[in-house]
Amino acid sequence: MKLFSFCEKRYRSLHVSLLLIGLVLLFPSRSEAYAGPGAGFAVLSSFWTILVAFLYSFYALVTWPIRQLLRMFRRRKAYGKAEVKRVVILGFDGMDPVLAARFMDEGKLPNLVKLRDGGTFRPLRTTFPAISPVAWSTFQTGVNPGKHNIYDFLARDLKNYLPYLSSAQISEPKRHLKIGKYKLPLGKSEVKGLRKGTPFWHWLGKAGVFCSVIRVPVTFPPEKFPGVLLSGMCVPDLKGSQGTFCFCTTRESSDKFREGGVRIPIERNGVGFRSFIPGPENPLGTGNDLRADFKIRPDIRGNQARIEIDSESFSLEVGQYSEWIPVKFKAGMGFTAHGICRFWLKEISPEVEVYVTPVNIDPGRPDLPISHPVTYSIYLAKLFGPYATLGLAEDTWALNEEVLDDEAFLAQCYGNHEDRERMFFDALEKTPQGLCACVFDTTDRVQHMFWRYLDKDHPAVRDMPQDQKPRVIEDLYDRMDALIGKVMLQIDPETMLLVISDHGFKSFARCMNLNAWLHQNGYLALKEGKNQSGDWFEDVDWSRTRAYTMGLNGLYLNLKGREREGIVEAGAEAETLKEELRAKLQGLIDPASGTVGITGVFDCDAVYAGPYVDNAPDLIVGYGEGFRASWDSVMGKVTSDIFEDNLKAWSGDHCVDPRLVPGVLFSNRKIAVEKPAIVDVAPTILKLFGLQLPSYFDGKPWPVAPPILPAKHAA
Amino acid sequence: MTAFVTINLASSDWPSLIPLLLVLAISIVIGLLMVVVFRYTSDQKAIGRAKDRLKANLLAVRLFQDQLPVVMRAYARILRGTGSYLRLAFTPFLIAILPITCLIVQLDRYFGWMPLSPAQTFLLEARIEDAEAANQAELQLPPELSSTAPAVHIPKDKEVVWRVVGQREGKYDLHIATAGHTVTKQVVISTGVARISPVRWRGNFWERMFTSGEPALEENSPVEAIAVTYPPRVINFAWMEWNWIVLFFVVSLIAGFIFKSALGIQV
Repeated sequence: MKLFSFCEKRYRSLHVSLLLIGLVLLFPSRSEAYAGPGAGFAVLSSFWTILVAFLYSFYALVTWPIRQLLRMFRRRKAYGKAEVKRVVILGFDGMDPVLAARFMDEGKLPNLVKLRDGGTFRPLRTTFPAISPVAWSTFQTGVNPGKHNIYDFLARDLKNYLPYLSSAQISEPKRHLKIGKYKLPLGKSEVKGLRKGTPFWHWLGKAGVFCSVIRVPVTFPPEKFPGVLLSGMCVPDLKGSQGTFCFCTTRESSDKFREGGVRIPIERNGVGFRSFIPGPENPLGTGNDLRADFKIRPDIRGNQARIEIDSESFSLEVGQYSEWIPVKFKAGMGFTAHGICRFWLKEISPEVEVYVTPVNIDPGRPDLPISHPVTYSIYLAKLFGPYATLGLAEDTWALNEEVLDDEAFLAQCYGNHEDRERMFFDALEKTPQGLCACVFDTTDRVQHMFWRYLDKDHPAVRDMPQDQKPRVIEDLYDRMDALIGKVMLQIDPETMLLVISDHGFKSFARCMNLNAWLHQNGYLALKEGKNQSGDWFEDVDWSRTRAYTMGLNGLYLNLKGREREGIVEAGAEAETLKEELRAKLQGLIDPASGTVGITGVFDCDAVYAGPYVDNAPDLIVGYGEGFRASWDSVMGKVTSDIFEDNLKAWSGDHCVDPRLVPGVLFSNRKIAVEKPAIVDVAPTILKLFGLQLPSYFDGKPWPVAPPILPAKHAA
Repeated sequence: MTAFVTINLASSDWPSLIPLLLVLAISIVIGLLMVVVFRYTSDQKAIGRAKDRLKANLLAVRLFQDQLPVVMRAYARILRGTGSYLRLAFTPFLIAILPITCLIVQLDRYFGWMPLSPAQTFLLEARIEDAEAANQAELQLPPELSSTAPAVHIPKDKEVVWRVVGQREGKYDLHIATAGHTVTKQVVISTGVARISPVRWRGNFWERMFTSGEPALEENSPVEAIAVTYPPRVINFAWMEWNWIVLFFVVSLIAGFIFKSALGIQV
């Protein structure tokens, strides 16, 4: 009868369900097979994933012949005359040719030796000035700064003599809705790139050559092109700065960090402590900064502490970093900024001190575009977990301010470096044909901060016995060599490998305050009764000032009609003044050491050409080896002393006479050029892929020898 | 969902809404409970990683669509990743399946069938192991119930069927006497939600577990099983007729999705 058979059927289905749980998971058609939402989610998600993947793949498969056909037509242009199948560019920011040669001669760096012996090793001429954003902009556009408009990290606002970031401008949404005390933004923040010119991968992409570009400086905001790109140096943190760390401490101090960080008090909260991370300005226009509160529960016996922030909770031992922790800054009315940061527990007894990295834009939920397409940063975050997105991700300021120690700083650098390596190797795998370029910043940051151990007489570690100085930079070059070795194993002979750097390095032992020199020599005047000035020319009398400096190498005339309070007439007067300054500064001796502090002063009219030359400084100051603009001078401060010792951890630099700090060029192919320059890279790559060179390029393509193929490849 | 319930409230009488409201309430509670159980019985980090990798490979298919080998590799990784994800979800699934199955079986007693209404005729079926005993089978009814037709014998199926009707609400015991044994079957006549046992078995532990709410018949009894034809329950919700388990599945899943997001649980 029906009833019995119904009951029996019901029983059978249950029985089978229990026995075949795996199948039940896959086919939950009988209601009894349902084992709660967990299994339901697993089944639905899996099916959804497989379905989406299948549809994507099906689409890719079905449309592949058509796209392949279209690409064939396009590629005929690109690959028809191409001399290479793939170009891999490993950019090591600041790798120094003198050091590399020295280490190779000492029998180290076996992979670079292989490249040198079987291919090419040359110093690579850098830009004027030898600063990363300038040099990497030239690298990607193939033009001099007069055509790409980047002359330094900072540019000056002619209306008020204040600095702004030269590479990108982030402005608030134009329209707001005012509701009571709130100003509701209508639309998104606008990010405008200030670098001009066209990166060479745009030309390649247009011709059908696929490009993966990772962390090349001055690629923020990311521009649209047929390929993938992750922005590098100049990506801001969530506050909009170039990196503001947070040092939370129970120690009372009224000292402020010179720059790059804020001190936040830690308050006792019952048995634990509480503090906060300052975030971006409230987008609702309340005038205050958003903040993310966190709690600290120290376990003094265990030499560790538990930190709770939002729904995250983790334990850290003293001296240990957390993983990247997601942080939310809630403004109310549904506005939330998403960031990530790492905590480093500095001390728990007798005081409690926690360092927090600058809050990076969360690559998995970017509030500002940091990649092209936007999904690329998300893809990398899903594949490898969260990673540093800040342009200057290695917190040099925190080491300079002695918040971090050497070990903690290195751990941070190499942590970021390992993430970058993973991204690069993924890009290499995903780009079997085309261009794969990645810039590694570790080389720059580590040399900046640890040159003091390489320089026998560096004032920052003058008292340290030579044999006790750690071999940080040797180790750095070894690591980079190992990376090159890994890359060489993964590329075929038809791939051209280029290892380049934007500039080299020198010691930074003596600081020179050029504003102080200008003041003492009558070119810069201070307000009545002042003999020094605060930051950003606070006490400068512009009506009597003829020249000033800000940033790392630029010297500006206070030109009438250009600067708000300019007094120097353009034309003959300006030219005479420039000549006068050049004559006086070139060969300027540091009285304390007796060495030349400035080896060259370059007239920008002579070294730059292009539509943006008007934005350039009037003169570029080339400091001698061991010298650099003082920290105060960079920030528009006028001090009483011109020269002083550099006692900071930041002990190596490249903002000197560009002729002293060329970068490196290594390749697995013979390049027949005596004095290659970074401006030549873009035309060389375009030529290698058989593309027509744009007429405005300043660089010249290098003659590159064909690869020496093993027998089977040659056949 | 509130809107649907409101519409149901407006268009139905209260007693008919009680099963719906109970199913909705139970589904939401179970949704929450299971998500919490999932949280504590699963490797949340590993599940998060597995899901992220799946998403990454999906994005790879889109980002590198012009490179067929890359797309195919990504697709292979998606299949592998789905396997890993299912493996990670398997432990909490194993832990949850037993209590959930028991719960569903018990709830099925209440929501799977409707009790008989007063004056509603129903069939009482007895499966008797030998023909002799079947011929001797005699139905003994309490005064509130009456038989409306003579017993029908189906020798092929070894079954005897009676048509019965009850006039008043209540729980009644019906007795079937045969070959010197008397067995009992409970019948529920009610207009509300009641615990229903549509069949009583002799032995058959698993069948009893999943379909019966009464103790087993005696081992030496010639009667193998007695069943009552209760009408299956249909729940009206959102302009559709639902089996309660399907509704439970859908609602608990939705509740689970909401709670997992609110509680930050990786599922």
